[in-house]
Amino acid sequence: MSLLLEAERYVANQSSHLALNAFITHSGRWLGQAKDADLRRKQGKTKSRLDGRLIAFKDNICTRDLPTTCASKSLEAFRSPFNATVVQQLEDAGAIIAGKTNLDEFGMGSHSVHSRFGPVKNARCSDDLSHLSAGGSSGGSAVAVATDQCYLAIGTDTGGSVRLPAAYTGTVGFKPSYGRLSRWGVVAYANSLDTVGILAKETSTVRDAFAVLNQHDPRDPTSLSPPSRSRIASKLELPQLSSRLESAPLRIGIPLEYNVSELAPSVRRAWYRSLEYLRRQGHTIHPVSLPMTKSALSAYYVLAPAEASSNLAKYDGVRYGTHPEGPNSEDESESYLYARTRGEGFGPEVKRRIMLGAFSLSAQAIDNYFIQAQRIRRLVRHDFDAVFRAEHPLTSNASRIEESTTKAGVDVLICPTAPSPPPSISDLMNASAAISPLDAYVSDVFTVPASLAGLPAISVPVSGKGNVEHHADNDLAGIQVVGQYGDDDLVLNVGELLEGCAI
Amino acid sequence: MLRPCLRYSPRAVRSPRCPQYSYRNSLQSPPVNQKSFLPLPSPPSIRGLQTPSTDSQDRIPLRKQLKQDAKSVKARRRERREQEEASRQKWELTVGVEIHAQLNTETKLFSRASTSPSELPNTNVALFDLAFPGSQPEFQAATLLPALRAAIALNCEIQPVSRFDRKHYFYQDQPAGYQITQYYEPFARNGYIDLYGYDGIAPEDGDQVRIGIKQIQLEQDTAKSQELPPSTQLLDFNRVSHPLIEIITMPQIHTPATAAAFVRKVQSILQSCNAVTTGMELGGLRADINVSIRQRGDDSGSHQYGGIGGLGQRTEIKNLSSFKAVEDAIIAEKNRQISVLESGGVIEGETRGWTIGSTETRKLRGKEGEVDYRYMPDPDIPPLLIGQELVAELSRTLPTAPDALLNMLLSPEYGLPIEDAKPLVELEDGARLEYYQYVVDILRELQQDLDPKARASLGRVAGNWVLHELGALLTKMDLPWDAERVTAQSLAAIIDNLQRKQITGATAKQVLGMLFDGDRRPVAQLLEDENLILRPLSREEYMALAEAAIEQNPQMAEQIRRKNQLGKLGWFVGQMMRTGEKGRVEAQKAEAILRELILGS
Repeated sequence: MSLLLEAERYVANQSSHLALNAFITHSGRWLGQAKDADLRRKQGKTKSRLDGRLIAFKDNICTRDLPTTCASKSLEAFRSPFNATVVQQLEDAGAIIAGKTNLDEFGMGSHSVHSRFGPVKNARCSDDLSHLSAGGSSGGSAVAVATDQCYLAIGTDTGGSVRLPAAYTGTVGFKPSYGRLSRWGVVAYANSLDTVGILAKETSTVRDAFAVLNQHDPRDPTSLSPPSRSRIASKLELPQLSSRLESAPLRIGIPLEYNVSELAPSVRRAWYRSLEYLRRQGHTIHPVSLPMTKSALSAYYVLAPAEASSNLAKYDGVRYGTHPEGPNSEDESESYLYARTRGEGFGPEVKRRIMLGAFSLSAQAIDNYFIQAQRIRRLVRHDFDAVFRAEHPLTSNASRIEESTTKAGVDVLICPTAPSPPPSISDLMNASAAISPLDAYVSDVFTVPASLAGLPAISVPVSGKGNVEHHADNDLAGIQVVGQYGDDDLVLNVGELLEGCAI
Repeated sequence: MLRPCLRYSPRAVRSPRCPQYSYRNSLQSPPVNQKSFLPLPSPPSIRGLQTPSTDSQDRIPLRKQLKQDAKSVKARRRERREQEEASRQKWELTVGVEIHAQLNTETKLFSRASTSPSELPNTNVALFDLAFPGSQPEFQAATLLPALRAAIALNCEIQPVSRFDRKHYFYQDQPAGYQITQYYEPFARNGYIDLYGYDGIAPEDGDQVRIGIKQIQLEQDTAKSQELPPSTQLLDFNRVSHPLIEIITMPQIHTPATAAAFVRKVQSILQSCNAVTTGMELGGLRADINVSIRQRGDDSGSHQYGGIGGLGQRTEIKNLSSFKAVEDAIIAEKNRQISVLESGGVIEGETRGWTIGSTETRKLRGKEGEVDYRYMPDPDIPPLLIGQELVAELSRTLPTAPDALLNMLLSPEYGLPIEDAKPLVELEDGARLEYYQYVVDILRELQQDLDPKARASLGRVAGNWVLHELGALLTKMDLPWDAERVTAQSLAAIIDNLQRKQITGATAKQVLGMLFDGDRRPVAQLLEDENLILRPLSREEYMALAEAAIEQNPQMAEQIRRKNQLGKLGWFVGQMMRTGEKGRVEAQKAEAILRELILGS
């Protein structure tokens, strides 16, 4: 199939799936670019494996040619004067921007319902045919991939925002190690956690995009430096690590703390199937303990809102953020100027997190909240370091090296991406339903630890079909593979392996 | 609008004209044109010169009235001094200072945008300076160098690891909604500077006082806002993110004069190590002052700062932009606090402001309006790691400190009096001193053959010519300093000729004036061409001149002889100078001849 034909098919799907609300902005400029790519292909001058492919970008990633709204009223009229590095890298590789996808405002949410442009709808329906949550916050990107509105989509993952939508939509969602992909041009939600992620139907497609994007960017001060990259690479070339999956079977860890009683049966079945599948291939399964798991979610919901409250201070109506028409109020003082812009520009979930963050950073609360949460974050990292066979490549602690040679750690962790299948949107949106905003936070419980530790993690769809007759689709669950920092390739490879038991 | 900005100098030598420059930290304050850095006592209020006198009984002669008025002014001054002294005995003042200084750097703190202040508004800005969504900071390592020079010059310990934090508050001149600063882990700590009598410290502080510096932190400047009435604010982001250092002292200052002396000295140290762009008069430096008082001997106060406890409640006076303002604001605030406490009140922890020329500080916001800055470590900026080698290299290459320069000038090597040494060090960021030293070097070369006594006075004589003779010409013409106007070689040649009595003092001044006005001839040729070399008069010629003079006023000669009124000899010397050939009559010789003729000795 020619690239043009493929592009036409994606664009046709964009029109037929408008109701899913996956896109905020569609690009109108794909036609000529697809033709050019076909020509390059004919001449054998293809730029990359992504040349001529339609790629959708989450709308919190800056693009010069299309608006960047972050699904917020406050940025309705905002145009970025520059492209994010990831956008530029993919364009340079020949990719075509399919459009900007819908999300939870500024990436804050787990179901992509907190959007100025309305909720994203999962193509999968519940038994009573109401739409299910697409997961968030990169729900638009996930739905666009799941319903063939694009070849591949870029999202962002702060606490699970790529992996959860992947799990809910039956797609593959990959969050690389923190610092692998440039954040330049990604509108910050929580800088120390924000990671650009990749969504596609297959892991091999994700890998193609990762190959293009996995570069040092001098404009991002948190981008892994070339020396750090070569240090990681040389550690991975050590025989005991390079043999994994090539000539030696994997040691697979199952974190016991993730086997909670609230786990939905279909999710538990999918987890079990995955482990059984891998065991049959000769890999060994080892129970491990990550004792800080329970505190990790709380720590995340202190740290991320704290950074958010700081990052979102710029949307005050002076330079960024739409200043509402009309007089500020009777009192023209400055505080009213800001208060009204921010009061009207932000949605309720964003306001909730700004309040949360402002509180946990306040003089009276910082010691008990922000500082404690940072401590827990370090302990979460220690948890992971204690179970992985490979040591953290960027901690040069001699005692740890000794420890790692004596202990028999695992290569990857396999666990569910989310504790339950997607809830229905009507339940989420219905104010009278007994769902508090905090319930949405629980869906992040399995994805947040890897975010706090900056680890690579992928969610792949695995069937959790039981004996009872069901619509096959609804039994798909996301299974997560988590690796040591820098072990991105292994995580991708194990994810690909698991695709074998997808259906 | 252009206007002259005067630099500190006892003789008020003028410096380059400068554009008006307004400065704002987090609070508004009008730009200030400071006439002098010298802490001047406020003029006594003189009333009563025009006392209405309708009743004839009240009529007193003007002379008498003037005398009485002067007396009462004196009495009032004495009374005030006594009151001050009494309250000083009772109340102890404690002052802490925070100084913000604009670093002398090419680029902004977190972008490669230029810091050049003269560009069109909003042209020197990078994406991050404007806090564009998605933009990230790129720390400019070179901006650290002036900051380190400053910290080393202020005797600080440079921290091997420091970090950047965000300080949150909403204001339109701050596009990100926060300022990046170093709150939790600043790059320099535990410094100090010593202040001496010649720095202008209060007499109570003795000969020397040491002020501790708690910490120095790197931070971003804000944008410049300009009000356009009735309701428009113009913003120029060229200044946003210009690198600043904030210097925070220990609360170890106890007199207003010493606080002003401290700020003045910090400025001169920062300028001497080339750490800052401009001084206070151009807005490159500004100070916030913390003031508290407590009864002497009472250290039961519950407030503490920087490890010093037992203090009274302090208030903060924001954004002072001159040395005089620092001193005046502290005096006013101290007096306010004393009167509040003496009338049974309580000092509130609050932020206050000061307007130049006023006599009272004014409340800006109280505790209830206090901002919680919600300091948070910046998650994008890696820790600042400073190597010992860099610190060592900068310490090694640091220009000599002003105190060391002063000591050098006061030493027998130069033999300058303190009132000449100080302006030399301070004028034109050391350019005048450089010129002076050059003149002295050349003179030493020229006068190798002279006796040691003459050579010992050389530094003092050169100082006089560089500061006063040349300075007076600059002041008269209202010109900025220019080392090339009269080159060091020319000035040295003039002084050398004078010292060797090749020319008279009057001729020397005349030649200096000619060179100053643009005469480009070498001094030797100029003296030759203009026939200015002193051709000594013969004894006979002096005799003739003296006799002619005495003939004009024989009575006076008689008085000198009989009443030994030697002071009147001067008149005859003057006559001889006037009647003799210009530039040839030497006063000393003339007087000797006169004494011989009149007194016979």
